[in-house]
Amino acid sequence: MAPLKALEQEYPIINSSFQNFCASRGIFSVEDLLLHDLYVLVAFAEQESDAERLKQGITQVLSIIDGQHQPWLNGMELLEDAHRNKHVLSSGCEGIDFLLQGGLRKGQLTELVGASSSGKTQLCLLAASNVAKEHMGSVVYLDTGNSFSPQRITHFICRHSDPAIDQAKHRILQKVMNSILCHSVFDIFTMFDVLNLLELNLRSQMQRGDCQVQLLIIDSVSSLITPILGGSGSQGRALMVSAGFLLKKLAHEHNLAVLVTNHTVGGEGGICKPALGESWKSIPHVRLLLSRDRGGSGVYSVSVLKHPSMAPGKASRFMIDD
Amino acid sequence: MEQVVGSPKGWIDGDESAKEMLARVLTARPFLLLPPLHRVPLRVGNVVELVGPSPSSKTHVLIQAAVSCVLPKEWNGVHYGGSDHLVVFLDLDCRFDILRFSEMLKHRIIGESIGSMKIDSEKMDFDLWNNDKKRRPAYDEELYVLCMRRFLYARCYDSFEFLATLKTLHYRIQKEEEAHGTSVHMLMIDSIGAFHWIDRASTFMPVGGNNRKSHSLQTVSETVVQEIRKLLVLHPMLVIATKATILGDIYAMNDAKWNLRKPDTSNCRSGRITSQQLPYREYMPSIWQTFVTHRILLRASDDHLPVSNDQNHSLYFSEWLLPSLSFIDKFIVKEVFCFGTCRLASSLFHEVRRDLWCSLASHFLIFPIMPVSYYSVKITMTKGQQNFKILAISRGCSDGFLQAFNKSALLEHETEIE
Repeated sequence: MAPLKALEQEYPIINSSFQNFCASRGIFSVEDLLLHDLYVLVAFAEQESDAERLKQGITQVLSIIDGQHQPWLNGMELLEDAHRNKHVLSSGCEGIDFLLQGGLRKGQLTELVGASSSGKTQLCLLAASNVAKEHMGSVVYLDTGNSFSPQRITHFICRHSDPAIDQAKHRILQKVMNSILCHSVFDIFTMFDVLNLLELNLRSQMQRGDCQVQLLIIDSVSSLITPILGGSGSQGRALMVSAGFLLKKLAHEHNLAVLVTNHTVGGEGGICKPALGESWKSIPHVRLLLSRDRGGSGVYSVSVLKHPSMAPGKASRFMIDD
Repeated sequence: MEQVVGSPKGWIDGDESAKEMLARVLTARPFLLLPPLHRVPLRVGNVVELVGPSPSSKTHVLIQAAVSCVLPKEWNGVHYGGSDHLVVFLDLDCRFDILRFSEMLKHRIIGESIGSMKIDSEKMDFDLWNNDKKRRPAYDEELYVLCMRRFLYARCYDSFEFLATLKTLHYRIQKEEEAHGTSVHMLMIDSIGAFHWIDRASTFMPVGGNNRKSHSLQTVSETVVQEIRKLLVLHPMLVIATKATILGDIYAMNDAKWNLRKPDTSNCRSGRITSQQLPYREYMPSIWQTFVTHRILLRASDDHLPVSNDQNHSLYFSEWLLPSLSFIDKFIVKEVFCFGTCRLASSLFHEVRRDLWCSLASHFLIFPIMPVSYYSVKITMTKGQQNFKILAISRGCSDGFLQAFNKSALLEHETEIE
């Protein structure tokens, strides 16, 4: 947020005498003002010789503050936004779509939790190829473990199309591949860089009116966050929560569906539980637990751990073709 | 009767008549809220904290209370029992789902207007099919829009946005109260500890003078409490805040052990929590803790109720910690379904045979909440068709959903259409 000095050009009422008055109370920026009781400040201003001008300055700063929070909406406006912008993207997997009543919702953060080889990455690749192919949208894919596989995407795209029409297939494939943007990310700071850049791009795209990105995938977000957690310090958790808020902000403001994956750790009594702990629990909108059925049948189970409108415990099964 | 000022008789006569007293008491009358908020009378000026792990239906309780607040007491002769006021909802978790709020509101409106009739899906289908205007749930669109407009919402992505929102809330409330002609009665915060880690980590040494306040957990909480206090003076409201137990592994661990030892009694797990041992680790600064006047602990149960044949019920426990009550409430959260859509469907299906429609309706009921109300369904059917398919569903629906929908066994009806 802006130091008061920087506001002088735009708002002449915030002149040097107003700044001096604020500085005498330990206020140098709008941020400082937020932490102060403005009524008390007005009371102090009244003791000064140019009380009227100072009070006008405080009113001016208050209206600047008013522009710095998210807009107020009533229920109908929210509903309109949801109907117009928060569509559902098919994940390409019928079992998941059926369970989630359509698929991944734009504006929401969906988390896939599961042990190793429980189908997390496969679902990410499937969702990426499906959104790129069926929804004509581009996909941003943050790959943290070099597990992104173009061959697999090719497989998912070509499985339904007729092999006879080779040329058309090739064209579709090329288009799909062009609209999946893969970034290799190996630490959380690079992830912040990529996400901030994405936000900047999306904002300028939104002004031009050609926003295309529909899905953001991070496979896996836990491998970026786990290294910075641990110890008693709060810095790691602060980064984790900030990352969560950044993802939710991107999802809401640019109407993206966000899909992240998380691994499991052994909890108390040998029961597996999602990694990243209690603080992360309140970040995602939807949490799905994946597991692979025993016996090598290639059938996967998925159950809802948390959903804004669904009871936890609902389950479904699906297969991912080889 | 003779009244002399200063005489003992005058003193006995009292200050106000029973009528005056009733009028006075009724303006400050406690809220009539649904469980688990019903145990203790709550009044404006109280600060209620809902504590619980995620998920434990905290937001659900908030939405439930918000719906009660925005609904009118009576509308077109139907009693809704609401308090006819505005609600302010500050979303710090940024996870609020308006579709859920909308469905719960619709559910309440329809539920009330069909009076004491228990919501029974079979019966509903039948009624809808019969086209019986009197028994058909009267869904009042005007009332719905009125209630939706009374819900005011803002999200905050960090503590500064939260503070900026609180600092300017007074002006916003004034504007809204003028526009709606009724006052704000509830301020909801979901959830108060959302920025805890970020604020805790951002403590730094203030640059530029000793009297400069640093941005820290302490100063942010102090300012938040101060701003809400000032707001409450100008606008008497009930404050309800949720708090996720972000440090709270203690309880979960005890619980797991407990379940392991006695798996057979897990249904009514855990006895009373003693006052010495808090079931969660407190992390909010003491300034907030002392600001809270009522505290309720919410917990989820692992078990789903055996009474239902589907899994649309979840069982939760609630316990009053402040004031400490000596019992635990159980409550069930059901997934709500939308009758408005059934009506939509019924108008589309008016030519279809009843059994067919019923099966579709029952399918709709299995599909909870958003998709049904969200999509407008276009269905084409021809004479003698063996089964039908939903061909197009408006915006917001994926092809995968359609495929899944059409594939599901319930829809594959081999019914001949006349």
